[in-house]
Amino acid sequence: MEYNTSENNFEQCMKCTVCTVYCPMLAVNPDFPGPKQAGPDGERYRLKDPSFYDEALKYCLNCKRCEISCPSNVKIGDIIQKARLDYSAIKPGLREFALSHTDLIGTAASVIGPVVNDVLKLGAVQYAMDTMMGVDRRRTFPEYSRERFTLWFRRNARAAQEKYSRFVTYFHGCYANYNYPKLAQDFVKILNALGYGVHLMEKEKCCGVALISNGFRKDAIRGAKKNLKSIREAVAKSEPVLATSSTCTFTIRDEYPHLLGLDNSDIRGSVMMATRFIFNLIDSGKAVLVFRNDYRHRIAYHTPCHLEKLGWSIYSTSLLKMIPGVDFVMLDSQCCGIAGTFGFKKENYQYSQKIGEGLFRQISEAEPDMVATDCETCKWQIEMSTGFKVENPISILADALDVEATIEANAALGTEAADK
Amino acid sequence: MNFDTIIIGGGLSGLTAGIELQKRGQKTLMISSGQSALHFFSGSFEFLNTEEDYPEALKKLPAGHPYSLMGAEKVLETASKVQDFFAGAGVVLNGEEGRNHFRITPIGVLKQAWLTLEDYARLPSDKSLPWKKVTIANIEGFLDFHPDFIAAGLEELGAECHCRSISLPELDRLRNNPSEMRSANIARALTGSVIGNLAKRLSDVSAGSDVILLPAVLGLDDPRPAQSLKVRTDRPIEYIATLPPSVPGIRTQMMLKNFYTRLGGTYLLGDSVTGGDFEGRKLKGIRTVNHSDKLFCADNFILASGSFFSRGLLSTPSGIFEPVFDLQVNCPQERRDWTKENFFDRQPYMGCGVATDGQFRALRKGESIENLRVCGSLLSGSDAINEGCGAGVATITALHIAENITEGK
Amino acid sequence: MKGNNYDVIIIGGGITGAGTARDCAMRGLRTLLVERYDFTSGATGRNHGLLHSGARYAVTDRESATECIQENMILRKIAAHCVEETGGLFITLPEDDLSYQALFASACKAAGIDAEIIDPKEAISLEKSVNPSIIGAVRVPDGAVDPFRLTTANVVDARGFGAEVLTYTEVVGFIRDGERVVGVELRDNITKTRSRKYAGIVINAGGIWGHRIAAMAGATVNMFPAKGALLIFGHRVNNMVINRCRKPSDADILVPGDTISLIGTTSSRIPYDEIDYMSVTPEEVEILMREGRKLAPSLGTTRVLRAYAGVRPLVASDNDPSGRSISRGIVCLDHEKRDGIPGFITITGGKLMTYRLMAEQATDLACRKLGVRKSCETASTPLPGSEKKAKKKEAKRVFSMPGLGGKAAVGRHGGRNGRIDNSDRNGASLVCECEEVSVGEVKYALQELDTRNLINLRRRTRVGMGTCQGELCACRAAGLMANGCTAKALEDLAVFMNERWKGMQPVAWGETLSEAQFTSWIYEGVCGLSRFKEKKGGM
Repeated sequence: MEYNTSENNFEQCMKCTVCTVYCPMLAVNPDFPGPKQAGPDGERYRLKDPSFYDEALKYCLNCKRCEISCPSNVKIGDIIQKARLDYSAIKPGLREFALSHTDLIGTAASVIGPVVNDVLKLGAVQYAMDTMMGVDRRRTFPEYSRERFTLWFRRNARAAQEKYSRFVTYFHGCYANYNYPKLAQDFVKILNALGYGVHLMEKEKCCGVALISNGFRKDAIRGAKKNLKSIREAVAKSEPVLATSSTCTFTIRDEYPHLLGLDNSDIRGSVMMATRFIFNLIDSGKAVLVFRNDYRHRIAYHTPCHLEKLGWSIYSTSLLKMIPGVDFVMLDSQCCGIAGTFGFKKENYQYSQKIGEGLFRQISEAEPDMVATDCETCKWQIEMSTGFKVENPISILADALDVEATIEANAALGTEAADK
Repeated sequence: MNFDTIIIGGGLSGLTAGIELQKRGQKTLMISSGQSALHFFSGSFEFLNTEEDYPEALKKLPAGHPYSLMGAEKVLETASKVQDFFAGAGVVLNGEEGRNHFRITPIGVLKQAWLTLEDYARLPSDKSLPWKKVTIANIEGFLDFHPDFIAAGLEELGAECHCRSISLPELDRLRNNPSEMRSANIARALTGSVIGNLAKRLSDVSAGSDVILLPAVLGLDDPRPAQSLKVRTDRPIEYIATLPPSVPGIRTQMMLKNFYTRLGGTYLLGDSVTGGDFEGRKLKGIRTVNHSDKLFCADNFILASGSFFSRGLLSTPSGIFEPVFDLQVNCPQERRDWTKENFFDRQPYMGCGVATDGQFRALRKGESIENLRVCGSLLSGSDAINEGCGAGVATITALHIAENITEGK
Repeated sequence: MKGNNYDVIIIGGGITGAGTARDCAMRGLRTLLVERYDFTSGATGRNHGLLHSGARYAVTDRESATECIQENMILRKIAAHCVEETGGLFITLPEDDLSYQALFASACKAAGIDAEIIDPKEAISLEKSVNPSIIGAVRVPDGAVDPFRLTTANVVDARGFGAEVLTYTEVVGFIRDGERVVGVELRDNITKTRSRKYAGIVINAGGIWGHRIAAMAGATVNMFPAKGALLIFGHRVNNMVINRCRKPSDADILVPGDTISLIGTTSSRIPYDEIDYMSVTPEEVEILMREGRKLAPSLGTTRVLRAYAGVRPLVASDNDPSGRSISRGIVCLDHEKRDGIPGFITITGGKLMTYRLMAEQATDLACRKLGVRKSCETASTPLPGSEKKAKKKEAKRVFSMPGLGGKAAVGRHGGRNGRIDNSDRNGASLVCECEEVSVGEVKYALQELDTRNLINLRRRTRVGMGTCQGELCACRAAGLMANGCTAKALEDLAVFMNERWKGMQPVAWGETLSEAQFTSWIYEGVCGLSRFKEKKGGM
């Protein structure tokens, strides 16, 4: 008779303590029980009696570095995040609402973009947000763009996409849409140069990461369902769904099922980082990138936690290393400390900055012209804390790209393929 | 993505193989599904539990033992390179030529060892000690190290021992967390100016002692805190391992990994190999969880995925198997024969592992796979605990395989 | 010491002996309790921990069923911190005869057990883990009871009423005055010293070992050693007790207990000389897994922590090879009447559930013989830790604190949790992380709960009972217990690790085997503990 070993993931824990070594929060804040206690150990007690839930689990950054280090394949971070959603009695307040409803706030703010930016920089406003809402005044806010990416796309790019015969669907995410349309434009530029037309999703909502971490599960489910519907439509047309944000990608692929109870197994493999898609094209000889000769930069690459968990930094770094003029520095993979909305909260600011210290030091020592990373919140944190400019690898590729030459080369490739 | 060699498993054995191959000019990829058993490192590598010289002891091993498969001469030749190999990565190990010395365990037992990390207590004999008066100091409230146990062990050998508890205000914040007064967390606090305070406290409590023995809780990222403490304390300091996690083990793992990547190796952490594509007696490529659409191809593959703990072997009530490629496993058929009733008896399951040919090529469906080699604790025929050969088998078989691969054997 | 003279000496530190000691002490008798090893080292510590409603015996043994439900209701009141009021289900599977259900329900009713036939769907919504293919369900007032806590609380209370308690003290002979038993000759099993204690009455509460004790006094009490094996699962799979609604059989009870769940039991007759050397066979594991999965399918994919076996201390009365049709009834033997041995009483039979009633009957008999006229109050007086107000207050205090703060310990010690001093700089530090046992709790057990070795400590606190079975905590606890005698502490540690392994070995596959390998790396690879390995088994 064949009976199984445990399918209860938390029971695979050997109590080896390895995860406790790699938890960035525990390293700076002993009020966090640590991944072992908060995760598999605590889970056993919570199953016995939910009142064993410890509100200190709110300190978990959801960086998943515990999971990456675990020799026994325990989904420690998942266990903790699930417990937070299931058991926490803390009700999210106005601050949590404002920080997490990114598309709502983003839509409102981008209408009056520059005004909001100026207002957010006012000392008095920052003071008020600090004291009344608990958003740390030392934090610099990402600026809102005057023109949302989606608007720009509709006005300037959408029509031109139809001349292509192959397509990808782009999940731009809130940041590229409201704060930094240049990234999204860069994405379009590269994909077009590679011979791909870009579609946007029928209906894109925020991936929901901030909603989840701030306790708005219902809102997150609502948005996620809409996203899944649009993703399925794209996949039905055989279009991969590409993103430029590692956290959006990770949330859609790996958090929807276990935190929101939404099955995504049919589309999970089709949702990926743009850098992975591009790298695979090049690696398999289906496309080429031609770079400018005059692009010269020393670039230090920082691996965002969720990209580390996805295991995909290799795609971004391989692409950057292809640029002839890039002096590439790989930073040791460490959490920057921001963890999305976590670092914006006044009570977390100190931990956030302390966690990032090691990374900031590495960057200063590397003295790069810029830092590359695939996550927008890492970008804010690093720019604010080190003064170094941070760019998404997609933007760097776009800047370094010889667009004309790339278009030509890929057209030639296409002809070659057709000949065969 | 194509590589010369892909190594599955990023622990001691995998890293040793990877570093050696990079040094020999190969382009390699290493995939590790989590951190390794080095995190429970005792501070010493063992070669073999034996009172004799190694050449003599090797003759007595059974035929299926990895050392026997290599042959005594080759084992000894390779073993003699290990010390320099690790020094190259910045990991300084000391030992004696061709025979064991002794280390002090966390419960005060003198245990045989082959190579011991610098700064660790290393004794030529288990019959006498080089010290008359010993201070054994612990960090107050650190439960994974017991000076009393060590004192009892050393007193048997005639030393006068004094156990001291050191309390440092810098650790009080950590104390608030009931579960996290662990070696690694302590090590994080014991840096910078705290070292000066610790040195002063140690000097104060160790008057007249020949040596201060400390739990290995210094230097998580680099050896500097330990060196700094050494300089600032009046008396010699030697370290003794703690219960997990092992601070020097974490540091060693990190130094080896960094050395490997500096040599150009690609290290993927947190990914698991799900299987491979075989063509006849050759492994063409492998697939992983994170890169499911990709076939990682290479000329050669090394499986260094460890034993049960590291999930290199899995067991169900009805059998023991190798989960990645379903390789042939040497193990007793019946579950009742996997174990013995006494915890301290030689447990048959410890010797279970993948069956290989004499070149450590894995056997699959009765045939050896030409380009898939196995090293370290996944190999069958050795019992790391009972024979005291874990690190020896891990490093020596890895170096041997790396040599064979590059020399086309 | 009060000298060597007592009104009553009770032999056996199981729940019956502890309960009898409490009852005797409460009635003002000068009481001595002796146990050859540790409390609960016999059948008391090796059963389901089921707070029977009596339903299981309703059809086959009305008398036992009635006793059970009465004691069940009493224990809820007097032993609140040892009891979990989970409720229970008797389920009918497609392979079972559904017509048994009606017979069962009416038998329950006749025994005074509140059994309610419910819709199988309701049962599934009440207990998520139950087999979804059930065709019938009856709800009964089953629960869980922790025999370790229950025994400890009885001992603590007995002592509070003036009783003396000696563990590791074995009766090696009876002192006679003619036929009359007037005392016992004792051997301290640690120091090996001997002593003599005198009493008006000696009560044999030795469980299955009572057969030998009686024989020493010249009386014949034939015990029926029926071995029952059980498995412990890694976490709490079910929150209600799940039973099969059929004639009692193998592996048909699944009980939640603190952080774990237990399935049992098998039943097989064993020779009397094997009762001290039991191990669980692969065949028994097979039966338990197979039948267990029928109760709750998820057991098939849950980590099995360990296996163990106990011996039912039944009094033989027929030749039933399984031992199941025997009455669980209480047997209180007045050896003066029965065998012409004045001064000697044996209390046996019965079960964990009816320990208090057994104690009452034995104490009543002893009092009659001693001419003491005081009535039993154990049914209405809460055990230490179970006083309602104190228990509630303690829970409120601890659960309002942030962090771990010793929440698990409140469950273990109830109202007496306040005696645990975690205020010391390191007091709150966890020794056992799986079961959340703090340094303060270990010290409390050492100071107040007759804790002399790690196995004792485990029984008092749950140290080493969790997922990893002692991988870090055993060494930490050994360090705390060493107290100047390190060699003994390390030998104790070796005994403890071996004892943990004994339970893991029969189920050593999957995570349990990996854990064992890891534990060996730590204790032998890193520490070299085999140097202290035991010469012989410990208790």
